[in-house]
Amino acid sequence: MSFFRLIAVGLLLLAAAGCRGQAITPTPAEKLSIEMAVEPDPARVGEAALIVTLTGANGQPVDGAKIGARGDMSHAGMAPVLAEAEGGQDGRYRIPFEWTMSGDWFVELTITLPDGSTMTQRFDVSVSGAGS
Amino acid sequence: MTGPHKERAVTHTRLDVLRLPLIGLLRRRWGRLALQIPLLAAAVLLVIDGFTGPQMAARNLATVAPWVHFRGFVVLVLLLAGNLFCMGCPFTLPRTLAKRLSIRGRRFPRRLRNKWVAIASLFLLFVTYEALDLWASPALTAWLIVAYFAASFVLEAVFTESAFCKYVCPLGTFNFVYSTISPTQIGIHDPEVCRACVGKECINGSYSPTPLVRLDDIPGGQCEVRHGPEGTPGCGTLLFAPQIESNLDCTMCLDCARACPHNNVGLFVRQPGRELLRPEAWPKRWDVSLLAISLAALGLVNAFGMVPPVYELQRALIKTLGIQSEWLMIGLIFGVGGLLLPFALALLAGALSRALARKKLSLRHTVAAFAPAFVPLGFGIWFAHYGFHFLIAPLTIIPVIQEFLGQPGDWAAFSSTADAVLIGLVQGAGLVLGFLWSLALANRTAARLYRRDAVPGLLPWALLLLALAFAAGYVFSLPMEMRGSLLMG
Ligand code: SF4
Ligand code: SF4
Ligand SMILES: [Cu+2]
Repeated sequence: MSFFRLIAVGLLLLAAAGCRGQAITPTPAEKLSIEMAVEPDPARVGEAALIVTLTGANGQPVDGAKIGARGDMSHAGMAPVLAEAEGGQDGRYRIPFEWTMSGDWFVELTITLPDGSTMTQRFDVSVSGAGS
Repeated sequence: MTGPHKERAVTHTRLDVLRLPLIGLLRRRWGRLALQIPLLAAAVLLVIDGFTGPQMAARNLATVAPWVHFRGFVVLVLLLAGNLFCMGCPFTLPRTLAKRLSIRGRRFPRRLRNKWVAIASLFLLFVTYEALDLWASPALTAWLIVAYFAASFVLEAVFTESAFCKYVCPLGTFNFVYSTISPTQIGIHDPEVCRACVGKECINGSYSPTPLVRLDDIPGGQCEVRHGPEGTPGCGTLLFAPQIESNLDCTMCLDCARACPHNNVGLFVRQPGRELLRPEAWPKRWDVSLLAISLAALGLVNAFGMVPPVYELQRALIKTLGIQSEWLMIGLIFGVGGLLLPFALALLAGALSRALARKKLSLRHTVAAFAPAFVPLGFGIWFAHYGFHFLIAPLTIIPVIQEFLGQPGDWAAFSSTADAVLIGLVQGAGLVLGFLWSLALANRTAARLYRRDAVPGLLPWALLLLALAFAAGYVFSLPMEMRGSLLMG
């Protein structure tokens, strides 16, 4: 039976190894409102763009931010689509993007303001087939 | 039919891979663990990530590893080597423990000793998979893995044989059916030795509560056989090594090779799919025949669940039948497309084939004779589907592991996908070769059964195979989608 004890110990070690490292917690950008639209709308497979609008607490447009976009499908098995934009004009940022398969997508935007504070927000997008 | 002295037909070459260096280690007492421990470790990591990791399917080990990589590997390994995933199955590890708790258990109920339960559990797995969108949910996939361990443990603790593997496990059933095309098979070296062997330890095992020694008069001299508390179990799925002609039900656990006191059992290289050519290899039972046929159809329906027409079908079902329950709708699609329709068409093809060839062979025997012909095409369909998912993002497992270990995942570096043309070629090759292989098998069966009437006798089966292949070709020509359920979306 000592053999099974060995397995048990091994499993415990594995469990310990499995404890994940601390994720980096972003410093939140205060009261920034993030809106995202897609082009074309409704989204369909192929070249696309994400239109992100950043508005500050007093309703003023926020320029000069850096936006990282990451698109994942709701299902496992697709590589993510990564894109970036910087600068912005009147709070509007255009991020060239591509929908690589039709289905349900999550788009995660990570916004870094000029002062270094960051914020992430997730949007759900449903993408239809190329033909429709 | 097989009298004790009838020369057995050769079902394999003389090459026993267990006599090769290194692979031979698998035969050792704990040899199987070399595969099981890594897979057990993997299963534990998957469960940890599934429960504690990010609930995003594309970034969680619990969803990426089994639904993308594992499935892709399984079909490839079955094709190139054999049923190594049953051999390395981690679910049987706690089972070994359970076995020790219940040396004197009960047999599995006689009425359930067939493949009907396995067909039902395959159906249930596919329906659950679709209805719960398992591959979109790390936590639910982790629960599925836990449920697997629990079911295997409980069944093993209660019954004497490996009831879970032989009668219940849907993954095992998949592996059993498609390992019939594999290039390896358990067999024996010398039939004379088996004839002289008294204890038949390959099936009975060499366990006994008190030590016991016996002398066997085998060709080449007397041989001492020891039984005792340290003995090894015999075949858990109740196969008798000298009579094995098929990989059906063989988990490649190698217990037979370990238990045989005369070192007479081997894992032999054979012509791939050899058994599908041999009329005696499979039992002539409805459950076995319909399993092989419906698993091909289930492969088609599983792929169909990912292309646009399925959403139209669902919408139509809601409109015409007023179905509200997602489970009911998916159960209906899989039940009709994957079970009822193939059962009915197989019966129809069998009846037509009998009528056209004017041969008085029973319907059951006719269907059983042609059922093996559905294995290569069925395999081709699964291969095309799983191959697609595997090739579309083969390396994303790397950043998923990086993130699991608490590091930033290097997604940009490992996001490459195989060329679309290549994926199409792989899928097309799987389907076309599978179909041609299937057709050749059906053709041989018809020639054997019907002789001069072979062509009319083959016709219904050939048409059925062709229809299946065309339907699969159509499904794979459509763009795949990955959506949640229509009702919930
Ligand atoms: S395989 Fe081994 S144990 Fe089984 S009958 Fe032959 S000699 Fe006996
Ligand atoms: S003991 Fe049975 S299941 Fe295991 S390898 Fe031998 S024949 Fe196959
Ligand atoms: Cu798919």
